[in-house]
Amino acid sequence: MPDLSAIPTIALKDARIALRDRFLLAATLALVAAALISLITGTVAMRTDVATYMAAKQQLLALGKSLGSIAAPEFYPLKLMRGTIEQIEIMGAVIALIAGYRAAVEERGRQTLALILTRPLSNWQFLAAKLLGGAGLMATALAFVFALCAVVLALGSGIGIGANDLLRLAITWGASTLYLSAIFAVGFGLSLWLKSPASGLLYAFALWLLVVLVAPQIGDTMDPDNQVAGGVFAQLSIPKAEQTRIKQGFATYETIRNGIEVSSVTKHYERFTFAVLGIKDIYTGKALGPIWADKKGDAWFLILFTLGLGGLVLLRPIRADRLTKET
Amino acid sequence: MQTDTPAVSTRGLTLSYGDFTALQPLDLDIGRGEIFGFLGHNGAGKTTTIRLLTTLMEPSGGTASVAGCDLAHNRIALRRAIGYLPENVRLYDTLTTRENLRFFAALSRIEDARDRVEEVMEFLGITDLADRRIATFSKGMRQRVGLAQAIVHRPQVLFLDEPTSGLDPMGVRQLREVLERLNGQGMTIFMNTHLLSEVARSCSSIGVLSHGQLVFHDTIETVNARYGSEEALEELYLSVVPDREVAA
Repeated sequence: MPDLSAIPTIALKDARIALRDRFLLAATLALVAAALISLITGTVAMRTDVATYMAAKQQLLALGKSLGSIAAPEFYPLKLMRGTIEQIEIMGAVIALIAGYRAAVEERGRQTLALILTRPLSNWQFLAAKLLGGAGLMATALAFVFALCAVVLALGSGIGIGANDLLRLAITWGASTLYLSAIFAVGFGLSLWLKSPASGLLYAFALWLLVVLVAPQIGDTMDPDNQVAGGVFAQLSIPKAEQTRIKQGFATYETIRNGIEVSSVTKHYERFTFAVLGIKDIYTGKALGPIWADKKGDAWFLILFTLGLGGLVLLRPIRADRLTKET
Repeated sequence: MQTDTPAVSTRGLTLSYGDFTALQPLDLDIGRGEIFGFLGHNGAGKTTTIRLLTTLMEPSGGTASVAGCDLAHNRIALRRAIGYLPENVRLYDTLTTRENLRFFAALSRIEDARDRVEEVMEFLGITDLADRRIATFSKGMRQRVGLAQAIVHRPQVLFLDEPTSGLDPMGVRQLREVLERLNGQGMTIFMNTHLLSEVARSCSSIGVLSHGQLVFHDTIETVNARYGSEEALEELYLSVVPDREVAA
């Protein structure tokens, strides 16, 4: 059994450095602020709706009428997490990329990479430690974001959140950690492999643009249902059977459109989290079991994509000419 | 691990990149307890040799052992036996001296890591820097902390790549004194340098590398005997390294 103590040693060192990194602190706070602004705006609106319903209810009771004369609305506070998820998709990914770049450049530029690799540990242990440190950093920052969101939802929405909501938030936190860890691995790997870490960051941003922004946006733009607010079929009041018949005529087009979307890990992350949180209408109020049955493909894509990238970083040897005297 | 073997031994150690040979087949033996000065012009292959011997690079051919550990088959044991200070080491800016040293001590898996870190700081006279972050340090202060991380695990062989680079005369003198004390404790020191005067004062043997080829290797006594004590090394260096390279 090999001694693996170097892995937590390096990962904890990275955590200590990250906690003192003003850029990462500022970026995380910016992500928190962006996530909370959209969430607080939504909770204010929901609180108003809840208050309106409660007032109407009181009025009915005061008039001696039955509550059955108005439909009881259903409030889903987790639907308000849409903005937070979108901030994690885009802004969180940028932070993860830069964190990955910094994790590589801090070892290369300071010659500490050479110091570590002349210690009694295997090179893969160093790489595993850096990846775990990055995943830990992402998990911690996201835990902070989700904990604050839970507090805002519990106190601000007017109806609170239950244990099932907390479980859904926890699942979303896990998926978000996987997503950002994968992006971290891209930033770290490219900044370590390429001759200049700055080139690594540049390539990483090009990939970010393609995966996080371009592919999902093309998929969205090609979706005719997204061209009219509320959806084309809904606006035209086309019955479900007719919708299916129309869609069959565009099967090839839809396959291409969907293919572009699912080439992006961001879309899989979005589809899974939107379903778990009930943001997508067809999953609102649904139990987790049926959601998992429907969305496990997206979850597995996310898991395998992250593990695959991590494996790629681990397997690729560190080239000696990356131990330059100056970078 | 055998104690009668040389501290460093290479046979035909080579490094090539395609048609370019960075290190010609190198045969070198450095005895235990020596201070070996490795001289050569810029790009001669000194840093490459250290990187090969410290397991940072894979040789194209030949064999080598350090502290009795085979470079090809016993890398982890070899890494346990060596200390390394690269040129221009900067360490972790946001960590303090003590945190940096504890990190490298932990990586070296020494049992008395905390006590040893305090001992090494005391030995190098940097206890007053213990709780200061590296970011605020001068080149000389960084170099001392760098040396501390290289010896914190009590290595048998210490590799130093241009350790006097950028140091003022006082820093050079302090470094020389420290190396002499370490050598007095039995540590073998392998030092790449440009400073002939430092080699003359500190080293017990020297090697001169030119275009990746070892063109001279002998004890300092032999050098002095052959060329006279005054400026002996400079004479030797000029005689084995072409003018063009000396000017460079």
